Amino acid sequence: MDGVAQLRRQFAEYTNSLFQEGILNQQFNQLQQLQDESNPNFVFEVVSLFFQDSERLLNELAIVLIQENINFRKVDAHVHQLKGSSSSIGANRVQDACIAFKRYCEAQNIEGCLKCLQQVKTEYFLVKNKLEAFFKMEQQLSAASQSGSK
Amino acid sequence: MMQGNIWISPNTVGFAQSMTLLLRFQLQSSFGRAMFAPKDSPEHPNSNSQFRGLKIVLADDDDVNRMVTKKLLEKLGCQVTAVSSGFECLSALSSSENSSRLILLDLQMPDMDGFEVATRIRKFRSRNWPLIIALTASAEDNVWERCLHVGMNGVIRKPVLLQGIADELRRVLHLAGESL
Repeated sequence: MDGVAQLRRQFAEYTNSLFQEGILNQQFNQLQQLQDESNPNFVFEVVSLFFQDSERLLNELAIVLIQENINFRKVDAHVHQLKGSSSSIGANRVQDACIAFKRYCEAQNIEGCLKCLQQVKTEYFLVKNKLEAFFKMEQQLSAASQSGSK
Repeated sequence: MMQGNIWISPNTVGFAQSMTLLLRFQLQSSFGRAMFAPKDSPEHPNSNSQFRGLKIVLADDDDVNRMVTKKLLEKLGCQVTAVSSGFECLSALSSSENSSRLILLDLQMPDMDGFEVATRIRKFRSRNWPLIIALTASAEDNVWERCLHVGMNGVIRKPVLLQGIADELRRVLHLAGESL
């Protein structure tokens, strides 16, 4: 049982660090609270959907921004969607990067937009790695507690 | 208290054959009052009995937001039909088996945005029915005015929080209960 206790502590510390570093905010807590018996993988499902949508949007943004005549309305729509979904799951830093992105988009500042796209990508892959590690630890913990209780 | 009655009709052997419970309900306003029933204890702020069975159509083009908002509404006890565009929202409303009392409408959707969906609903259907609440990430001051102008009943700011959604549903339903 010591192993389980240790895993549990590590998991709690890791989760805590995600909030401390501003990678996640309380919106993610709400997701966790919404998860129940009727939908035990809710958080994982929402976050997976977030990964899928974000990667699609990031790809589309990269394509739109290298075109000769940039369609800034399209850029704004994509960034707006990314801002919305990141705020829904509590991916705080992605959301903040999107807010800066939107400003450059409104000013039709191409260089600023390209910089922001890089920034959003960096933050996105950071939260993705962190959340993948989070789910892995959660899974290990649940497997360890189950075998411990037998 | 409710001026009701209860009686049992025994059959010849003395066993209860049928039982009648008569309760008086005030139409509409009692619904509003139930909404304002004492708040649940702090340990259970998310009690899902308040909006039990309330039928809602949720329209949001963003997959993640739609999934989260749908789950929030279900937690509150609502029965949710989730759609991903303005067109789907209108067709969901026009299907005969749909009897939704309330629509939660994202304002920023491609092709047909929330304002247009609301305008069409108000043009072709009743002025007061179904109730329409806007979902928006916009922080602009005039959003509320624009929503009112096309006949919407409320606004919820994104990201959606359980308490925020419950408060606005309660407010809008209460107002409707009083005016209808």
